[in-house]
Amino acid sequence: MKIFSESHKTVFVVDHCPYMAESCRQHVEFDMLVKNRTQGIIPLAPISKSLWTCSVESSMEYCRIMYDIFPFKKLVNFIVSDSGAHVLNSWTQEDQNLQELMAALAAVGPPNPRADPECCSILHGLVAAVETLCKITEYQHEARTLLMENAERVGNRGRIICITNAKSDSHVRMLEDCVQETIHEHNKLAANSDHLMQIQKCELVLIHTYPVGEDSLVSDRTKKELSPVLTSEVHSVRAGRHLATKLNILVQQHFDLASTTITNIPMKEEQHANTSANYDVELLHHKDAHVDFLKSGDNHLSGSSREGSFKETITLKWCTPRTNNIELHYCTGAYRISPVDVNSRPSSCLTNFLLNDPRYKIDGSLEIPLERAKDQLEKHTRYWPMIISQTTIFNMQAVVPLASVIVKESLTEEDVLNCQKTIYNLVDMERKNDPLPISTVGTRGKGPKRDEQYRIMWNELETLVRAHINNSEKHQRVLECLMACRSKPPEEEERKKRGRKREDKEDKSEKAVKDYEQEKSWQDSERLKGILERGKEELAEAEIIKDSPDSPEPPNKKPLVEMDETPPVEKSKGPVSLLSLWSNRINTANSRKHQEFAGRLNSVNNRAELYQHLKEENGFVLFIVEISFVNCLILISLKKTLPVFCVQ
Amino acid sequence: MPTVVVMDVSLSMTRPVSIEGSEEYQRKHLAAHGLTMLFEHMATNYKLEFTALVVFSSLWELMVPFTRDYNTLQEALSNMDDYDKTCLESALVGVCNIVQQEWGGAIPCQVVLVTDGCLGIGRGSLRHSLATHNQRSESNRFPLPFPFPSKLYIMCMANLEELQSTDSLDCLERLIDLNNGEGQIFTIDGPLCLKNVQSMFGKLIDLAYTPFHAVLKCGHLTADVQVFPRPEPFVIDEEIDPIPKVINTDLEIVGFIDIADISSPPVLSRHLVLPIALNKEGDEVGTGITDDNEDENSANQIAGKIPNFCVLLHGSLKVEGMVAIVQLGPEWHGMLYSQADSKKKSNLMMSLFEPGPEPLPWLGKMVQLGPISDAKENPYGEDDNKSPFPLQPKNKRSYAQNVTVWIKPSGLQTDVQKILRNARKLPEKTQTFYKELNRLRKAALAFGFLDLLKGVADMLERECTLLPDTAHPDAAFQLTHAAQQLKLASTGTSEYAGYDHNITPLQTDFSGSSAERI
Repeated sequence: MKIFSESHKTVFVVDHCPYMAESCRQHVEFDMLVKNRTQGIIPLAPISKSLWTCSVESSMEYCRIMYDIFPFKKLVNFIVSDSGAHVLNSWTQEDQNLQELMAALAAVGPPNPRADPECCSILHGLVAAVETLCKITEYQHEARTLLMENAERVGNRGRIICITNAKSDSHVRMLEDCVQETIHEHNKLAANSDHLMQIQKCELVLIHTYPVGEDSLVSDRTKKELSPVLTSEVHSVRAGRHLATKLNILVQQHFDLASTTITNIPMKEEQHANTSANYDVELLHHKDAHVDFLKSGDNHLSGSSREGSFKETITLKWCTPRTNNIELHYCTGAYRISPVDVNSRPSSCLTNFLLNDPRYKIDGSLEIPLERAKDQLEKHTRYWPMIISQTTIFNMQAVVPLASVIVKESLTEEDVLNCQKTIYNLVDMERKNDPLPISTVGTRGKGPKRDEQYRIMWNELETLVRAHINNSEKHQRVLECLMACRSKPPEEEERKKRGRKREDKEDKSEKAVKDYEQEKSWQDSERLKGILERGKEELAEAEIIKDSPDSPEPPNKKPLVEMDETPPVEKSKGPVSLLSLWSNRINTANSRKHQEFAGRLNSVNNRAELYQHLKEENGFVLFIVEISFVNCLILISLKKTLPVFCVQ
Repeated sequence: MPTVVVMDVSLSMTRPVSIEGSEEYQRKHLAAHGLTMLFEHMATNYKLEFTALVVFSSLWELMVPFTRDYNTLQEALSNMDDYDKTCLESALVGVCNIVQQEWGGAIPCQVVLVTDGCLGIGRGSLRHSLATHNQRSESNRFPLPFPFPSKLYIMCMANLEELQSTDSLDCLERLIDLNNGEGQIFTIDGPLCLKNVQSMFGKLIDLAYTPFHAVLKCGHLTADVQVFPRPEPFVIDEEIDPIPKVINTDLEIVGFIDIADISSPPVLSRHLVLPIALNKEGDEVGTGITDDNEDENSANQIAGKIPNFCVLLHGSLKVEGMVAIVQLGPEWHGMLYSQADSKKKSNLMMSLFEPGPEPLPWLGKMVQLGPISDAKENPYGEDDNKSPFPLQPKNKRSYAQNVTVWIKPSGLQTDVQKILRNARKLPEKTQTFYKELNRLRKAALAFGFLDLLKGVADMLERECTLLPDTAHPDAAFQLTHAAQQLKLASTGTSEYAGYDHNITPLQTDFSGSSAERI
């Protein structure tokens, strides 16, 4: 169906003249006595609907089905006609719902049987209908604006459904002539207007309705072209359920609907909760839903259906859905439905079962959320190793707190703290010589040395953080912290190889240091900038490691800061790194607590080689390592870098 | 998209073609030459696709059922015999049967008809078929349009002048028209020779068998892919927007969503997404199949060692039970997901949604989907135990809003009985009683059914007289009050008959302290 076919605009014109207040002469029993009631009570007399009530409820049913299946772009304008035309709503989407129409109809009320019939006519409504068809809808307006110079491609077609009580065939012809003439006039007006559109095609559906039991004064007539713009058809229908049936057929024709009956749906009985009986529910939907069905030749068409269904319906057997909804099924179409019998118990039982109670509504913000999503993907993928064995940091639980926040657009103070804590934690791990999850797949032997592993890890972490330093100043601070913590003088690195468990005392002092660091982190970062500048030139090429072939090299290849445990004299005058300050303090304090180790007194660069004769003989060497104030001995094979044991 | 090659093996195809040199060619040799070229192209670029070969004269025969083995197809080309006259209609009926049997009615299929433009004589000739087209009953329906989405390509072993000298071209054009315009006629430009046949088949390949190459992107991660079968252009609305929309060659992932949330959405078509290795010249060197490494191509083996984003994406979607939403063009999206072929094998696939800002109403507008981290609180809950989808429509559908329909008497009777049942349980059911009463009141006012209001008022008054002695005194007060209010509404005067006005329970107090107030 084209967007702007006749079905885009439907105008209901319902006769509100005095004779419409007449009874349809079809009685409704409404006082149904419940069982076990006092005998001898005479039920109240049945009542009957007026022609007006029948017309209104049938047209509301037409709208109900239409709105269910086409909640957008199919619009209704409701007009009531008596001594004048009352237009009950507009083409705007907000006006397109049953509640609005019901409220407006209640305001109009039933026709007044005592009004002067001479003053009243359906013609007022028909003229207003043509007028309203010339009015542009928001969808037409949007399409025209979009098409610019091709705006004339936007069609203006519509349908007028007029429910009235006509006097004769010639009366009907008079109504048709009036519509045709009015279209002619209004098209002339519309041609000179920016706000109105000429009617290209109008389908007039005249429904003559009369009380049950009376003879019709008007004969049926199939669709006939009255002019290139106007076609007209006449339906002569008895009021009551006949009228409702007619409008149900019409809504199916007008909107290309078809019917499907779901059979054998098990439903629990109110009275007998343990048993369930099977029910059928008939649904309407766009007929495209049946196309593949009919093509497949698998014809489920059944003509003989329950009472009330007058058209062919395709029957499908109910199949209780599986609760597992993580499977994707190949679905070629999804169609909106409307139950034929909306408030029958089986229908409402089915629809309640199918309706998922929506729990949320997402607020739209000014920024386009989807663009934000793309932006987030961009940030998250700046550094993303594709192979698990090519990454160290993403295999480390310890890195998660940093890795999960560094990709954010902006960081909170707390995020920065968490990142710093992560980095300190890694420093700690390195000091403890904790193993890293570096893959040895594809390499011979046991893979890189432990210090090499840490260098790979630090390089990778730096790559990750560097990818985000332009996000915000706080990201920059994380990098500064990382750079300050990761780089070690060669001597220290050497000793790191021989880490061992530290004592509680050390833990305490480290904690103190962290507190201190946090206090001073900002000042330090400022100071570090100075160091960074100078450090760049002094760095040795040997520090650089290309860790893995696929992880991109950091923009700046070198660890930027070189920090000595015992800073050179000339440096100590300038800005001093926090680590050096702290190490010095601790060393001084510790040196008082113990007698200096003989090896250290004779050491070169804090390193003394013992058992030099062994070196020649079996290729092992024992290093003395000082970590903070603890002296360790590690026997190391010169060939394999294999720690054999360590002692204090 | 499977292909059926329909080859004319009538005698007229053996007409010699005058070619310089000693060797004598017949039209069927030219046809075989062209088809060889097509098969070779498909073996390289469309190796996953199935092709069948049908030959026909007055009878038809399925020479090669649907296969991916292009050698078999090639061999069949050299084993064709010559038969009698052309009878196109029965061959097309044969194609219908073969395709429907193998693929059903939903899979699009390309039909390549190779003929010399001699359309047969007498009964069964195309002229005869077309002349009787309007006199068909449902049982001997003309096979066109094909009962499946299709393209009909007619490869004529003749040049335009030859076809125009008779009404052949007109007849063939009618065939395309009958197939709802889906298809095209190809003729040989210039003299009939191998070179010109090649160029004709080259045009067919360009039109219908060019592989669709794209770059799949997710932030900084990218992969070169072939989308197979090729996504076809789509026309949204022929009146307003008649230009067919083509999908981007940059397929950008915009986000991820749970399978449960997207819940088997309707799609226009679905496609395999195959990573491809491009060498430096940009030529394709091979197609890899996800999770399926039966390829011996050495280029592929090299490609298999390079980490590919498709593999990462496919694995992640499979493990997480999610799909990736991918942007196909302006206001056009699709999804990427892992589709299991068998227990061991699964593929990365892409399905196309219908173009438009809101292809899946339960997700709302596509551009309104955003990162979870942007929401004030996680819409999936801290324990991932809820979901923001499906979205609630602004206006509920009729079946979700408790509408009142009295077209059948049973609808009216049910509503009246509900009031009556609650009336008998007053004062416990005061709230429900008034709720049902007001619902009925509103509907009666909208339908102008004022007699019903009077009737129900009478009924409530009668109920009042029938109250047992044990009844709570409040019951009588409420019934009288309700009946009175309904009667006032039934006068239709605006004061009492306001649609939005609600009858509220009578304020009573039976605690004893202020009993005289009542």
